[in-house]
Amino acid sequence: MKALLFIILFSTGLSAFTQEGKKVQFVGGARSLISQSDFTSDVSDTVTARKTTGGYALIDLGFKINPNENTEVLGMIRINNQFGGFYGAGVTFDVRQIHVKGVAGKVLRYQIGNIDYKLTPYTFYNHNPDLLVQSLGINKIKEEVLNYESFYKNNNWRQQGAAADFAIQFPKLIQELKFNGFITRLNPSASNVLERLYGGGNVIMKQSKYLTIGVNHVRVFDLLQTADNDNAYRNVVNSISYDLNKDGEKIKLSLDGESGMSKSFSTQNAEGGLSDFFIHVKGQVSFKKCGLKLKMAYMENGADFRSFGAQSKRMDFNQVNSFYERYTNSQILRPLSYYDLYNDPSLYSSSISTKIMSFNPSINNVLPYGIATFNRQGFYVGFNYSDPKKIIAADVTFYRLGEIRGQGTTQLRSFSYLTSTVSFNLSNWMHWKKKQVLQLGLAYQETARSSQFTFEQINLKSLTASLGLELEICPDLYLLGSAFLFSSKGNESMPIRTPEGIIINFNEYLVDGREINLSSGIKFNFSKEVYLAAVYESNKNNFSAENPYKYNQILLYYIMKF
Amino acid sequence: MKYYITLSALILVLFSCHKKDSEIDGPSLEDLNGQFSVLSPLAASIDSVDFASGETVYFTALFSKTSEWNLKITGLVSGAVKTMTGTSNELNASSSLWSGETTNLPIFKNENCKVELTFPNEPDTLIAYVKVLQAKVNSGFLISDFENGFNSGWTSFIQSGANMNFQVLSDASSPQGNKYYNMAGTVDWDWLIGLVNFKSTAYGGAPAFPLSANSDNVYFNVMIYGEEGTTNSLVLFQFEEDENSNGIFSSASEDMYSKEIKVDWIGWKLISVKYSDLVNLVNGVPAAPNGNGVHDSDKIKTINMLHLANPNSGFAKSKLDYIIFTENGPLVP
Repeated sequence: MKALLFIILFSTGLSAFTQEGKKVQFVGGARSLISQSDFTSDVSDTVTARKTTGGYALIDLGFKINPNENTEVLGMIRINNQFGGFYGAGVTFDVRQIHVKGVAGKVLRYQIGNIDYKLTPYTFYNHNPDLLVQSLGINKIKEEVLNYESFYKNNNWRQQGAAADFAIQFPKLIQELKFNGFITRLNPSASNVLERLYGGGNVIMKQSKYLTIGVNHVRVFDLLQTADNDNAYRNVVNSISYDLNKDGEKIKLSLDGESGMSKSFSTQNAEGGLSDFFIHVKGQVSFKKCGLKLKMAYMENGADFRSFGAQSKRMDFNQVNSFYERYTNSQILRPLSYYDLYNDPSLYSSSISTKIMSFNPSINNVLPYGIATFNRQGFYVGFNYSDPKKIIAADVTFYRLGEIRGQGTTQLRSFSYLTSTVSFNLSNWMHWKKKQVLQLGLAYQETARSSQFTFEQINLKSLTASLGLELEICPDLYLLGSAFLFSSKGNESMPIRTPEGIIINFNEYLVDGREINLSSGIKFNFSKEVYLAAVYESNKNNFSAENPYKYNQILLYYIMKF
Repeated sequence: MKYYITLSALILVLFSCHKKDSEIDGPSLEDLNGQFSVLSPLAASIDSVDFASGETVYFTALFSKTSEWNLKITGLVSGAVKTMTGTSNELNASSSLWSGETTNLPIFKNENCKVELTFPNEPDTLIAYVKVLQAKVNSGFLISDFENGFNSGWTSFIQSGANMNFQVLSDASSPQGNKYYNMAGTVDWDWLIGLVNFKSTAYGGAPAFPLSANSDNVYFNVMIYGEEGTTNSLVLFQFEEDENSNGIFSSASEDMYSKEIKVDWIGWKLISVKYSDLVNLVNGVPAAPNGNGVHDSDKIKTINMLHLANPNSGFAKSKLDYIIFTENGPLVP
């Protein structure tokens, strides 16, 4: 057995915990936002306050304690003071995050409390299916704020629970076996609601630098005897992921993907459950010299494939706005607009939902639950290009997908989806020292269903386009500009589902609208992690033909991380 | 490199099995939104049916979309009605099989029947006809359907009140056959208006009615008519058990179970009761039986039927027909 295997110590873990030998560190961030809004609608509105002023100042103050070199304790509180609140009024104190992590026995790395976790795109993954275009300029500031607020980073879900991992290295045949496991709590028990947990893990075998294979397992499960209810819910997903590559001098070839199956059922109706499988395989060729990478993939996600850790959306489209929630003299609800997704971090959550969440078909009808969206099959192709001089970078993907099972008809929807981002680094092109970046983003979707019956026909087209500009006009002072366009036209047949996800009816969805947001501002970087930005933006929305509206905003951001 | 190509091919083969899905998710859009039309008219599987010999009939029709439907079969002589409902895009043997039973009394006779198919959400009405050659025969022990008049083995007592009418009558209102037992009168000094004793000896001299000893399987059924404008009639059935089989019922030492029925409806109604559910009643109040306390359905010697009414309530009237014991379930007429 000698030298047959040895357990890895974690490379970054130990030293990272005790930076410079400090036992207690302060970490966190601070942000202040002041806004002045001017809202008008084309119809008579003497009820809604046209101009509002708001904002807040908050500080996230964390204490990172290292009682020894193998342990880290983090507690972070948030003090939030609404603009205009003093002496306790409008001030809230919350615990923002708390965790303990460390390495046990120099072998097992663990974390308890708040954990940021993901496994694979089909098992446990925080997809971002609603902000379709990459942000730069002002929208980038807004996206950074909402990502910070909901802990969206690297497609992790912020959950409460525990996680552990360790690895074993081998001298022959296999380089390394890595074991990951986690357990989180989705909801506590109530009178007749069972305690619901979510757990799983994977084993990743790195055979060599050419081949990695993972076996993944996650499950949502109710704990029996935690409430007056004998019907426990289960959602089990098993998959195999793989990554095979050949790295040559000029070309790198890779084949990666994930395939698996899911089963969802209640213990008292196991036969009435849903089970299905998915396949996703992607081949890529990278031409190293010219910076071009081509990809081609096939995917087939069964109609009954359910993986709530990968299909939960960041936001629930059934909720209402907090910004100008109602307007017009009738005080109708203002529907969620696309730009509200950038403007309002409170719309987002970090909960894993075990229900099929609602979505806006105008925004993303093709993959509303990300790449793990059920009832989709087809292929996608794309390329990624970055020229050697770093002047232009492009990322383009085209999806051609279809349904596997029809909804209300045997006729199937077909989907086309083009998404692209092109960045121009003007500094490199003009050989300027100051940073000058222009970025264009585009997402175009088409949904179609043909039929001899008019009521089965679907034709929905949506376009999301953005332009972002960051021009450094003098050291650390940037001129920012953003333009955002969202338009959608056509019809859809939106399923109405029971809480169990069974479709019981359909709503006819008709849309013909456009939303335009233009903004500009300046930003001054005090340091890499501290900046001040002043923004003026104008938003116009006519998705409601009877009640179009527009608003202008002045926003002042001060953002700091430490 | 061959190794990796083989491995990747293997992975693809393992997981790349194409699926075909002919099902649909959710209700059919065509059913929800499509135009309704009758693709195949209403028709009976046979023109005439002999229910007595075990024949059945079913109805067929085909529609362009799944729809709610109501099927109503009406006896053109008896006025009996059988209804069926469903939601489908066709009628077939599984959704519209008719074995001769009725939904609303009276019972079907040997007669022509009109079959109407209607749709709550559509204006269409489809009509067909079927002839009942022989009406359904119900298995069980028939106490009386009064078709042969008043059995000489029964006894009765009728008060000498006003407008007294206790007799077998024959008219079209009979729920089964042509005759029924009419009970009417005004007795202002006593609850009892009249009674009939159905004795087991009236049926070939048997000491008890020939019923199963398992009282959980024995059902007593009777059709009772409620007269419009009178809701004061009480019909009380008493079941006297000869527990010791000595040919005599002793009220002091043997069980007598009862069923009291307040006739507060209009028209004919089938009352069915499981024998083991009956209780001993003393002045209408449940009480411990005087005998062994066991429902000995195979030892019922006499069934007393008492027509009662509050003496202050005036004229009382009701009718009886088709008194029958069934086994393994209540009567399905």
